[in-house]
Amino acid sequence: MDLTREEEAILNGEQGEGRQKAMELVTALGKIYGADSLIDITSAHLSGASYKTIGDGGLKYLEDLVGGGATVSVPSTLNPVGMDRTRWKEMHISEEFAQKQLRIIDLYGQMGIKKTCSCTPYVGPNVPSMGDHVAWAESSALSFVNSYIGARTNREGGPGALAAAILGKTANYGLHLDEKRVPTVVIDADIDGSVFSYSLLGQAVGMAIGSGIPYFKNISPEVEEAKALSAAMAASGSIALYHVEGVTPEAGNFDVSELETIHIGKKELKAAFDKLNTVEDVQLIAIGCPHLTEKEMHQIAQFLKGKEKKNKDVEVWFCTSTEIREKCAEDVKIMEKFGPVLADTCMVVAPIEGTFQRTGTNSAKAGNYLPTLCSQKAMCMDIAALMELVL
Amino acid sequence: MIFQGRCISNGKARGEVIKLEEPLSFLGGVEGSTGELKVREGNVAGKILVFPKGKGSTVGSYVMYDLMVHGKEPAAVINEAAETIVATGAVISSIPMIDQIPSVRLFEDGDIVTVDASAGTVDIEGITFKEVVSSVVSKDGKCILEKRPDSCHSYPGHWSLVAGKIEPGESPVDAARREILEETSIKVGEPLGTMDPLYVREGKVLFKVYPFHFDAGNQEVKLNEENETYVWASIEDAKGMKTVTDTELVMTTFLKNINKA
Repeated sequence: MDLTREEEAILNGEQGEGRQKAMELVTALGKIYGADSLIDITSAHLSGASYKTIGDGGLKYLEDLVGGGATVSVPSTLNPVGMDRTRWKEMHISEEFAQKQLRIIDLYGQMGIKKTCSCTPYVGPNVPSMGDHVAWAESSALSFVNSYIGARTNREGGPGALAAAILGKTANYGLHLDEKRVPTVVIDADIDGSVFSYSLLGQAVGMAIGSGIPYFKNISPEVEEAKALSAAMAASGSIALYHVEGVTPEAGNFDVSELETIHIGKKELKAAFDKLNTVEDVQLIAIGCPHLTEKEMHQIAQFLKGKEKKNKDVEVWFCTSTEIREKCAEDVKIMEKFGPVLADTCMVVAPIEGTFQRTGTNSAKAGNYLPTLCSQKAMCMDIAALMELVL
Repeated sequence: MIFQGRCISNGKARGEVIKLEEPLSFLGGVEGSTGELKVREGNVAGKILVFPKGKGSTVGSYVMYDLMVHGKEPAAVINEAAETIVATGAVISSIPMIDQIPSVRLFEDGDIVTVDASAGTVDIEGITFKEVVSSVVSKDGKCILEKRPDSCHSYPGHWSLVAGKIEPGESPVDAARREILEETSIKVGEPLGTMDPLYVREGKVLFKVYPFHFDAGNQEVKLNEENETYVWASIEDAKGMKTVTDTELVMTTFLKNINKA
């Protein structure tokens, strides 16, 4: 790999041990994936924020990085953590977990990372522009900014994205390159256009192709729909970029006439639905994976206004970011009659397995991870159908 | 014997090999506070940990860090192909690591090796390296298997393809033709097929095996004194026989399409 004189100097430790370790990691990953050089990034988004997922090893790693004086050199945001920072008792979180989780957030903060913790930073504090090179972890968010915005990032892991944030650089390979952003298959979609139908579409596409770069015809997602689609495809498959004819910014660059076309319609959506639904009654309904946007908060509040929660045996959680919870104070009042509006956490990275065994969600992404990461039997339906269970 | 790989994480280490045949997920595969393996018996602490490649959760990188924090990390890691999780874990935990070695089959548990990760090399101490050929000589979907005598120093009493050592200065294909002529009196032409070399350990001997496939035509087999007897064997026949390592693999690779046709 061609390194500049300054990059060589960092690798040789001339700018301290923290930056040297970061450079070792970025160049090692670059080597594995055949990068020719490093490129400057404009932002980073980091995963590995929940104590549940990174454990004591991860916590010690962050302690050591901060001890070594590491700081980020580009604007950087953080993924959801294992609990709401102030309302963790309502989530049945233990004191020990809470202390360690708060320490992790504090350590990221000391490195200069914004301490709001969300999987949808692209609707608020961290919005890349078309053509920006960035280093993002969080599979749903990086797919959204790659596809809907036209920024460029690979599927970074937590430590890799953090190293890139410290350096302000990442290795130039994969989705940073024009030739690696070309569609590999056409998806002829037949869906009803609801947000939930985009979740099922994503689930079905992930099941059908696994990886690759799909090019969609006959859909017109807005932010919320693209959010659901990105998250579902990144969880049921490992899809980090897609194009939508007439919608996403790079779609017009490609001639797809020679590509194989896969039809996804009622039959495929039904199979996707069946795969995600393994239980008929739940103890928890968790909505907001990825985090609810302002528009979704309004819609849910509209739907719930004047209604009453009758089924007291089922808990309801709504998950969003601190900013959006503050912005939507009126909606929050209505929603809180049904359950807490939790900030900066979600049902996947919180240790819900200590309390619940059966969880309902409207998210195909959560539907994939609840069984594996949280030992849950999962139900996956649209928000109205889920709320009917407690009305 | 020194082999060249590629540096992933700098450093040097000498130690005893512990080897896994399958891809490893550190999350679930290794106990972070003790180094105890959960996928087989053994402990990675202070060992040269050899496995084909990483798999599983990205949290595996932090399990490697956890090992380091507890002083239970492997002295070095050797992979066939590095991927993000293990490479990340090795770099952040300052564990020397190389990849792109030809095969994990170079190694056996208990080997003493020196890894110079910065140079990308691994030195396996006390082994002898031999380059050999092993040929499927076939007729009608069957091939010659020779029975080695019990006095043979390598794989005594086993059934083998037509095999032998490559002489100094000899090309593998010439060695294959010569061995076939010497052992069976069959003259073969150009190979019908070749495979990437295979590595096989037999005690302290490491064989690099070049497999070939030749057509026997209608020639008659006349054994020399090296082997006791021979048979024409199909892939199915070989399954029930005590054969030299990889015999079935090589037969299957070369003969399965013929049998289908």
